[in-house]
Amino acid sequence: MATIEERVKAVTARVLRLNPDDIKPEHHFARDLGAESIQSVELVANFEEEFGIEMDEDAALSVSTVGEAVKFIAEVCKQQGVSA
Amino acid sequence: MRLILLDLPSPKRVQFYPLALCRPIWELRCGMSSLGEKLVAKTGVRDVACFVPEYMAESYRAKTPWPVNDLQSLKGDDLLLVSGRVKAAGLDMMPQGPSQAVFLPDGECLLARITREDAAKLDASSIEAFLASARSSLPAAALDVPTWNYTWDLILANPAQLIEDYKKAGRSGIEGTVEQPNAIRGSAKDVYVAHGAVVHPMVVLDAAAGPIYLDEGVVVHPFTRIEGPAYIGKHSILLGAKCREGNSIGPMCRVGGEVEESIIQGYSNKYHDGFLGHAYVGEWVNLGALTTNSDLKNDYSSVSIILDGHTPIDTGSTKVGALIGDHTKTSIGTLLNTGAYVGAMALIAATGRLLPKFLPSFAWYLEGVVTKGFGKNKLYETAKVAMSRRKCEWTAAEQAMWDEIFQLTAPERNEAIKKGRRTLAGT
Repeated sequence: MATIEERVKAVTARVLRLNPDDIKPEHHFARDLGAESIQSVELVANFEEEFGIEMDEDAALSVSTVGEAVKFIAEVCKQQGVSA
Repeated sequence: MRLILLDLPSPKRVQFYPLALCRPIWELRCGMSSLGEKLVAKTGVRDVACFVPEYMAESYRAKTPWPVNDLQSLKGDDLLLVSGRVKAAGLDMMPQGPSQAVFLPDGECLLARITREDAAKLDASSIEAFLASARSSLPAAALDVPTWNYTWDLILANPAQLIEDYKKAGRSGIEGTVEQPNAIRGSAKDVYVAHGAVVHPMVVLDAAAGPIYLDEGVVVHPFTRIEGPAYIGKHSILLGAKCREGNSIGPMCRVGGEVEESIIQGYSNKYHDGFLGHAYVGEWVNLGALTTNSDLKNDYSSVSIILDGHTPIDTGSTKVGALIGDHTKTSIGTLLNTGAYVGAMALIAATGRLLPKFLPSFAWYLEGVVTKGFGKNKLYETAKVAMSRRKCEWTAAEQAMWDEIFQLTAPERNEAIKKGRRTLAGT
């Protein structure tokens, strides 16, 4: 089964049209991966759908790197009792 | 005699959404004034109090001189209780004399005349208890009281109401400035330009089919054509607009493009080209350039509107446009379907396609779907800026009311967000 990091990279790659192997935890969604503001909304929606979770939009949009997204999603999954 | 206006929580309030989400029903406009102003004028009563849903009480207190949700107002005088849904003409039906009341089978109080002595005997521990004890103890008046039932009733009645209100206002003539060359069609007695209003050159005021009332401080820019009946509210500006017949535009609006038989509550902008027809627009709305609504179906069948996110309601009219809630902003090129419901505090970034017929309040419509977007706090920030530009304040009470509305409208929004999420994820 894919890890949270692998799934985050897969979603990010699909939304931003990138190769998942090129995405690193330290990558900044906007600065390094070219995410525009509207794509950050798409990323949040896609992460929610991928993991079956509900994220607070203010908290989710304050996440800036792929590694932070992995940690944030892991925490939300834990809080909401979702196995990831 | 004290007039008590009633707008208590009930399923019927939904029939006036999204406009009634943040105001009592009697604050809605029809003709030259609000429903409440008409009720007060009809009774001639100066002592007025009101009861509204608790979540909007504090915000409404800042906007009205009347006591709001004050149980003391149920004591010490003869009372005339009137639902905000009652048409002013319905007040003629209530005879003078002893206490009596008109309640609907669902418990809604439409009208009640209660003497001071009888009022003192009723349970005044809450407005609900007061009405329940009135219902059980007062004689029922067998009257068929006319009521407003949906927001589109106001839109459809607006042209006739404008004519009636103009007659009642009893004003005509030019008290402001009408710069030449200009054209007034029809009778000059059917045009009133109030003190401080300025009509620039090259404007047509066409009162041939109905009167035109330009209120104080209105500015009409060149190449505007206004067809009566029409009311333009205080300090509104028309920017080369094609105002077809039957428009009521509240105070402090900026209106361009084509507008027909529509009501704009006030403080809203439709600066640019684009068609607005048979629509009701709330306050603090900004309609981006080329925002256009359909108000007639291609097959000329009657228009339906979805108020709850699920069930279409047949308006019974072939001409109904959009209902647009307060603080909603549309992007350039937004296309609203016939009978579109756009909730309050929504943000729409159009994709070029017709929008869905129902968009919930606080929706961020991006990439063709409803999303959580950047959340309600970002919408509040925009609301604060928009209001400050008109020297109005976004207060703590205002925010508390909108927080409640956010919760109130969550079910249909969450459903739309889930649907949008699935679309975005391609699942």
